[in-house]
Amino acid sequence: MEGEVLLKDKIRQLKEKIEDKLGKKDFGDVLIVGGGISGIQASLDLASSGFKVYLVDEAPSIGGHMAQLDKTFPTNDCSI
Amino acid sequence: MDGVFIGGCRLGECNYITHGNYHALNLTLLCKRIMEYIGLNPDRLRVEFMSAGDGNLFVDIMDEYTQQVREIGPLGKSEGIEPAELEKRLAKVIKQIPYIKIMTNEKMGTHLEDPAEYESFFTLEEVSKLFTEMISYYIDPEKCQACMICARRCPVDAIISAKKEVHVIEQDKCIRCGSCFEACPDRFDAIIEIPGGEPVPPPPPEGERAIVKKDKKKAG
Amino acid sequence: MEYCPVVYPDAFNQGISNEKAIHIYFSQAIPLITYIDESCLYLEEKKCRICENICQNDAIDLKQEPKKKEVNVGAIILSPGIKPYDPGAMKEYHYGDFINVVSSMDYERIMCATGPYQGEILRAFDLKSPQKIAWIQCVGSRQVIEGGNSYCSSVCCTYAQKQVILTKDYNPDAECTIFHNDIRSYGKDFERFYERTNALPGVRFIRSYTNIVREDPETKNVFVRYATNEEGVKEEEFDLVVLSVGLEPPANYDQMADIFDIELNEHGFCKTDPANPIQTTRPGIFSCGAFQGPTDIPESVFSASGASSQCGQLLNFRRGKLAQDKVYPPEIDVSGEEPRIGVFVCHCGANISRVVDIPSTVDYCLTLPNVVYAMEQLFSCASNSAQEITDMIKEKGLNRVVIAACTPRTLEPLFHDTLKEAGLNQYYLEMANIREHDSWVHSKAKEEATVKAWDLIRMSVARANLLEPLQEIDLPVNKAALVVGGGIAGMNCAFSIAEQGHIVHLLEKEPVLGGIARKIHDTLEGLDVQEYLRTLIEKIYRHPLIHVYTETTITEVTGYVGNFVTKVQSEKGDAVIEHGAAIIATGADVYTPTEYLYGEDERVLTHLELEELMAKEDEKVTGAQSIVMIQCVGCRNEDRDYCSRICCSESIKNALKLKEINPDLDIYVLFRDIRTYGFNEDFYREAADKDVRFIRYEPEAEPQIEPGTGEEDGRPVLKVTLPDYVLGKKLELDADLVALAAATIPAPTTKEVAGQFMLTLNPDGFYKEAHVKLRPVEFATDGVFLCGLAHYPKFIPETINQAYGAASRVLTLLSHDTVTASGSICVVEDEKCMGCGACVTACKYDAIKLQKTRHGDKAMVNPVLCKGDGLCNAMCPTGAIQLKHYTDEELFSMIDTMIPVEEEEKADAIAGGV
Repeated sequence: MEGEVLLKDKIRQLKEKIEDKLGKKDFGDVLIVGGGISGIQASLDLASSGFKVYLVDEAPSIGGHMAQLDKTFPTNDCSI
Repeated sequence: MDGVFIGGCRLGECNYITHGNYHALNLTLLCKRIMEYIGLNPDRLRVEFMSAGDGNLFVDIMDEYTQQVREIGPLGKSEGIEPAELEKRLAKVIKQIPYIKIMTNEKMGTHLEDPAEYESFFTLEEVSKLFTEMISYYIDPEKCQACMICARRCPVDAIISAKKEVHVIEQDKCIRCGSCFEACPDRFDAIIEIPGGEPVPPPPPEGERAIVKKDKKKAG
Repeated sequence: MEYCPVVYPDAFNQGISNEKAIHIYFSQAIPLITYIDESCLYLEEKKCRICENICQNDAIDLKQEPKKKEVNVGAIILSPGIKPYDPGAMKEYHYGDFINVVSSMDYERIMCATGPYQGEILRAFDLKSPQKIAWIQCVGSRQVIEGGNSYCSSVCCTYAQKQVILTKDYNPDAECTIFHNDIRSYGKDFERFYERTNALPGVRFIRSYTNIVREDPETKNVFVRYATNEEGVKEEEFDLVVLSVGLEPPANYDQMADIFDIELNEHGFCKTDPANPIQTTRPGIFSCGAFQGPTDIPESVFSASGASSQCGQLLNFRRGKLAQDKVYPPEIDVSGEEPRIGVFVCHCGANISRVVDIPSTVDYCLTLPNVVYAMEQLFSCASNSAQEITDMIKEKGLNRVVIAACTPRTLEPLFHDTLKEAGLNQYYLEMANIREHDSWVHSKAKEEATVKAWDLIRMSVARANLLEPLQEIDLPVNKAALVVGGGIAGMNCAFSIAEQGHIVHLLEKEPVLGGIARKIHDTLEGLDVQEYLRTLIEKIYRHPLIHVYTETTITEVTGYVGNFVTKVQSEKGDAVIEHGAAIIATGADVYTPTEYLYGEDERVLTHLELEELMAKEDEKVTGAQSIVMIQCVGCRNEDRDYCSRICCSESIKNALKLKEINPDLDIYVLFRDIRTYGFNEDFYREAADKDVRFIRYEPEAEPQIEPGTGEEDGRPVLKVTLPDYVLGKKLELDADLVALAAATIPAPTTKEVAGQFMLTLNPDGFYKEAHVKLRPVEFATDGVFLCGLAHYPKFIPETINQAYGAASRVLTLLSHDTVTASGSICVVEDEKCMGCGACVTACKYDAIKLQKTRHGDKAMVNPVLCKGDGLCNAMCPTGAIQLKHYTDEELFSMIDTMIPVEEEEKADAIAGGV
């Protein structure tokens, strides 16, 4: 029992140490590379289930190639 | 306004499991018959179903429909109905809406799949019956015990009621829903159903509406 | 922007139109801000700086340097997407050489309303609308030559069909020709889409390789050479040729692989494991979307959700620690106040202002009753504009807001948020759609469009006057999940949810878990399915949070999102399960053929039965000299108008395996189109290389089959005859076994389960998801999710992606303590209700019940179940039931204001005069 408590304490200390070192400001849960439809969907899911997400894209806007499409098959709905 | 266009998603493709567009179709078919019944051109009303991707279809239909309404001409005038008369007829229809809804409710749930069925879904005869053969309700002044139950139940406040006075149904306001008929306690059984077309007896004149107490009647 | 001297081709519009060095990326870009790109004169040569001086807000800083930012994260998702194949890489396409040869991506921009010609389909050469257009398929795909890719890009057949339909919409007289190798409409509802395209007049699908031979020096028309069985080699002239380019790995993929230290496959996409396609070769780094391989949008969406779920499994211990909930100021009660309406008119860049005169529209707004403030905005949806709206609400004391911009469908939630930030109830918002309903469709009639914008705004203002504040309801969420179906989809989904700390009840109708996968032995990628199943089932049974019920039937489902109650009977006895979410993973079945002597002659099998015999090394297989496989049995026909997606690959898998067992075996695959999309194309090629013979048949001339004897040796065989279109004669094949690629059909329980959970089915009997592209694992019914074959036939890796995807969507619900229900729901005015029950019958959501009261039966609405579709309102004879936010009064006010009384009288007067 005591060992377990000690271990937990250790982990907590370690965590604090890491957080101290890294600085809380730039500490995130998940980094997503690419802001197309997949990247956006993954970000939305993670953010709405309690995670902090960094989404990066090389273009000036998110949207990826889907934003360039006019309509989508087979319903011909607007892509944007 | 000389024409009304109703647009909806393709039948069977409603986003709601209630599939309200079938209801819209049925309602349109009914309204077209009613328009015919009161002498209006039913083509003034049109319903079409299409998806969000059918932009060009929509444009074609709108162009065609606008042209069609233009050809039909101004409401009433083209049908040779004077404005005052038209207003009267329309008012009559509006008054009848609740009754029509009650009578057609069951049929409205139908999902028409084949356009060939559209024409015959509501016949002129059927619609005409909705206007001429209405059931009426009448409160028997002999039996009414002025309990006010029916008055409270009436959804359109069509029952004139006061304590110890025979209740009276205002036939003009009544939507013939039958709520009062069901509400009247069995022991009084004061409300009479009068079949469609038959005349409704006039209510006792104001001032002569004191109730005849049941127990007194027994005694007498 | 106006002043920038640099003009160069706009990359977003595929270089067809021009752009300035300082510009907005595209009109719906997020973030919607202007930026300066590398073509800027200052950045290149330290010159110009005009923009810096022009900008009144001093927003331009040309000396900005790239900043490096270091972030620390627990997991990484790679979704770098794809890049369209560059047809310039192969000279024979003459792309960039002939002006009227364009890529499909160019064509996509040409068609688009926000594209270079504002939605007019024109040739860049003469700005005329092309009449004869050819699409050439498989450009850069299914090619083993230098510069091409060997795999199938999976999406080109269907996007080309979409382009044909949109072209025909634009110009009904256009003649469209698609040159293809196989039409691969393997996705949900794709087959119908194909038929719809094929049925259009003036559309031809021609199966042929093509050559672009020359262009006409005058007209610049393009000549294409092709060959058909009937007419031989032909040359035809087209006004425009569209190259249906494939999908390639993302740019700089090898560099990225280095940075993240992951492995790629031989095609340059992410190297994945068929048992978990989301996991890269490095733990903690996940892949999704087209990085797994060329794929369509729905597959991208659910694999992205899947990646999110796997991050959730990894980081569950710190969920909610870093993320912060948004805090809104307290709501101000303005219900007693006179309406004070503010109207914000959006330019939408130039999308609206190009057509509608905005300044005069703003002036007009100020003349409308109760409008106390009106202003124009470049993009109302940009974050600075939202701030402006919030500020104005406070400054001018606005209590109703009308935004004249685009469709409420996309941005209404954003503006709701804007109002909440200003302390207003969000239901005090009304939107007038002057883009989709006006500027986009009336781009050629500017004056009339402006008047229409006024009409639309006047109607919105009328309604805004009557808007009421509504309260949304917070419902508690039961943290458990119910998974219906214990196949690969259901088990993976259950496992992922349980790993994130939630109790999962897993229901299976059979005595054992595994579903249809129990009949499959391996996959083309080499996954040992039975071994995989054994490990998975063990993981499920060992998981402390997963409760398995076998031999289960569901007897009753009640409740709603966050609070379902499901009654089940199982081998454990009767149980009542309370759960917050439900996942439908009921799988699919195999069609029992009635064709080709199946059931009459035991040598005729389904492809799965053949696989079973192969696994058992049955003598019927090992001793066979010739096997015929017939594709598309029971689907792509009138009864089942869809493609079963997996059978082509299934047959090829069996064929390859059979060739391993006996290289001398003759194998014939009789097909209509071979649909080995994606990397499976490589296996198709391998099979062809190993002398598996592929023979095409037409549905009008199906193969005929009868018992007979072998010609040379007299052994008893099945005789299969069919026309050979290449040789132009009748072909007769001897077969020891005939394997039918029988259709994948919806599981028999589908209908029943759909009824219990109030779900809809598509015309083919598979479940219908909330949105085919963007919400592929959700139902329109809140709190119910979908994965696996119940959605549509698919491969095991796809199923696993989708199972994790569904788990992720479930987590977005279960990780919260409450769920919010809309305030726009129905209410009953008791006095008017006559208790007829018409609304109760109308409501398929079970949201209305009749309740006995002192004054008779009255309808009662359960606000949580009400979806606000309004059918009950239409049914109610007395108008007792009204939908809040869309009351009769509100809607009539719009109609009444649409045509002002004076105008109507004037019109009557004119009409009277005629």
